[in-house]
Amino acid sequence: MLIATKINVSIGKTPILHGVNFDAQAGQLSAVVGPNGSGKTTLLKAMTGDLPYTGSVVLDGTDVKVIPGTQLATRRAVLPQAAGLAFPFTVLEVVRLGLTAGLGAQDRGLPQRALAHVGLAGFEGRLYHALSGGEQQRCQLARVLTQVWEPKRDGQASWLFLDEPVSALDIGHQLEVMTIARQFADAGGAVVAVMHDLNLTSMFADSILLMKSGHSVVQGNPQAVLSDEYLSRAYGCRVRVNVPPFHVQDAPYILPHMADLI
Amino acid sequence: MAVVEAGSQFASRQAGDRSGRAMTVLIGCAILLVVMMMASLTVGASGTSLFQALMAWASGEPIELRERVILFDIRAPRTLLGALVGASLAVSGAVMQGLFRNPLADPGLVGVSAGAGLGAILAIVLGGLLPPALAVLTGMYTVPVAAFVGGWLSTILLYRVATRKGRTSVAVMLLAGIALGALTGAVAGLMVYIADDNQLRDLTFWGLGSLAGATWAKLMVAGPLIVLALAATPFLARGLDALTLGEATAGHLGIPVQRMKNIAILTVACATGASVAVSGGIGFVGIVVPHLLRLSVGPSHRYLLPISALLGAAFLLGADMISRTIVAPSELPIGIVTATIGGPFFLYVLLRNRSLLDM
Amino acid sequence: MRIRMLTGVAALLTSALSTSAFAEDRVLSIGGSITEIVYALGEQDRLIARDTTSSFPSSVADLPDVGYMRALSPEGVLSVDPTLIIAEEGSGPLETIQVLESANIPFITIPDGFDRQAVATKIQAVAQALGVPEKGAELAAEIDAQLAALDTSVDAPARVMFILSTQGGRIMASGTNTAADGIIALAGGTNAVVGFEGYKPLTDEAVTLAAPDVIVMMSRDGDHATEDADLWAHPAISTTPAAQTQSVVRINGLLLLGFGPRTPEAATALHSALYDEG
Repeated sequence: MLIATKINVSIGKTPILHGVNFDAQAGQLSAVVGPNGSGKTTLLKAMTGDLPYTGSVVLDGTDVKVIPGTQLATRRAVLPQAAGLAFPFTVLEVVRLGLTAGLGAQDRGLPQRALAHVGLAGFEGRLYHALSGGEQQRCQLARVLTQVWEPKRDGQASWLFLDEPVSALDIGHQLEVMTIARQFADAGGAVVAVMHDLNLTSMFADSILLMKSGHSVVQGNPQAVLSDEYLSRAYGCRVRVNVPPFHVQDAPYILPHMADLI
Repeated sequence: MAVVEAGSQFASRQAGDRSGRAMTVLIGCAILLVVMMMASLTVGASGTSLFQALMAWASGEPIELRERVILFDIRAPRTLLGALVGASLAVSGAVMQGLFRNPLADPGLVGVSAGAGLGAILAIVLGGLLPPALAVLTGMYTVPVAAFVGGWLSTILLYRVATRKGRTSVAVMLLAGIALGALTGAVAGLMVYIADDNQLRDLTFWGLGSLAGATWAKLMVAGPLIVLALAATPFLARGLDALTLGEATAGHLGIPVQRMKNIAILTVACATGASVAVSGGIGFVGIVVPHLLRLSVGPSHRYLLPISALLGAAFLLGADMISRTIVAPSELPIGIVTATIGGPFFLYVLLRNRSLLDM
Repeated sequence: MRIRMLTGVAALLTSALSTSAFAEDRVLSIGGSITEIVYALGEQDRLIARDTTSSFPSSVADLPDVGYMRALSPEGVLSVDPTLIIAEEGSGPLETIQVLESANIPFITIPDGFDRQAVATKIQAVAQALGVPEKGAELAAEIDAQLAALDTSVDAPARVMFILSTQGGRIMASGTNTAADGIIALAGGTNAVVGFEGYKPLTDEAVTLAAPDVIVMMSRDGDHATEDADLWAHPAISTTPAAQTQSVVRINGLLLLGFGPRTPEAATALHSALYDEG
């Protein structure tokens, strides 16, 4: 269970987040959505300790600030949005960095399994620099999965924090990656994902936080959050949410209107 | 159990895993270093040969005093100091490049050597002004320690200026290096004005970059500092590898980033300071060696750091052999030799990495 | 330095006594003036090598060069297999000298000095080191007599500024207690720069204030006419009396500043350059 309470973040003198509350549970995929500049990534970075914040982030009963970094690394992995690499590592070498946290150190075959899991089997010897943007993103996901391979360990959930994990992917790989995240949650792990695409979010998330201008608009299940009213308010345009017949699980399906910006 | 062993054996030979090749290169470089050390003991302006001397000794003949001095008082300390300085220059370069996440960072290029040099100059010129008690305490360590402090302060300054939010701007780094170089140059110029003729001579000799002054005493002073720095590098490898993904990600991988950076900075300062103090300004080793190795064994610091040490040592011994035989019985400052090899190489690296400078 | 010289001489004497009288016949000479003295003593056949500053007489160029006198490499020196090293004061570095001493090669440092007495002392010290003190006494007396015979008295001594270099527009001039200061005095001039010892860069104001009548520099290969033009164009120098009369004297550096057997010649040359020009 992750409970973030009254998170405020300022960069320089500019306040970015204004008392945002957020919670996420083991066994669930919790998404954060909102328009560009609404503070989604900032919230994720605050919760992972990459940005200074006020408020509290409590992970499974303990404030994350007091959990030692090495211990945290065995329970939580973070996939950043852009991952440039300073030196020409191979794909396998990048994924192996996931073993750094120490958990998988005994399991040398893990990086390969993780690569196969994200659809990059056979890419081990390629240079990371030579991959496409989408391949790089999946390679990083494999690294992150290597770090917390078991969704649930010793009765405790492992945590995946993903910052726009499918932003550079084609639709096929988007589904593939979201399915991996979904499976991780279904196996007892916890996933927190900043998402851009509302429909994908709608299909895969158990819980959604909708943000606007550094404020939380609403958090709840997709049916509650993905409504005409909330989305129009957050995105500043009129949207229509409906449930087309070809879709699964009655997930709301969102189409933006062509005209009528609010 | 045996199956698991076999499995992991198999796993370590897979595609994308360059550790096997790295081990080969490591062993190759170790052999090369031994050969270079032997050669360094054998080659010189005088005809004295280690093997002849050993053969003579084996056959019971006494070794002549002149031969003994050449082998044990000149070539032996020079060979050891050359190997240590070469190792420390190459490792400093590799660590600094890992720390700044940039293949162009080098203590010589970005002002760390200049800072260390300023420390040494201050110690040479103003050493006499130390309170006698302190001077006795630091003794012959004054110059290396001052060089270390100079290198340390400039590395910290450089890092503070060039790094913002865990990202290092290469342009800022190089500009800060130029500023640092100009500043140290100015203070050094002031010191030259204050210095008397004897000190001036020391400064000139020191600034040329040479291993000619290698003595057992110098080895005893600089050796421990360099060995200490080299001994710290295995603990940096994991952290520097993780750092390649950025400071935040390294932290998420469980690396105590700040502590690791501090150790890296201390290591660079220690190694550069000690090297600069005993051998003056020898450039380009720190950029040529790690770069060549990244091309062959990949950038993983687990192998890059130890192999850099070996190859750096071998490279400098080679350069030193050129420097002391090419115009024998006189000798060329070794800095000229390394710069002649390193300058064009650096331009080549720069051309190939131009996009990095636009960051 | 003096102590080392004495112990060196002592070591030499004992070794000379223990072996033959001409044991030290492989001599390495470090320092231009030392080499000149060896030649003047007629002992040049014993020389087996020299340093970079030894450039006179021209036949020394045939000897191996062991490098710059202040940056000697120990193995380079040992490789020419000397049995005696005679070096000008300031040769080094210290590490090299220590190694050479540990190889039991006598390393004799000849004290430097920049007056008439110093020339004689230097000659005698070199002769002593070579084991030819009688020849030394003779040569010293001869040179000393030449120096004594110099008639450098003038009514109004010229104010002379010795400029070592003008690199980057910075005037590096000689203060007191230098070879330049010494030779100016021997030639009957007055050093215009007296505020400090050694060679130091001068500010433009200090150049103007020194107001030299004549500027003395070392001659080099190359186009002196252009160099002169540059010199007079220098803003500070252009204000001096020397610039108005365009008085610059260029003499070979080793001749001028060596303080060896050619010092009478140098003093005479400088004196006539200072005062004889119409």
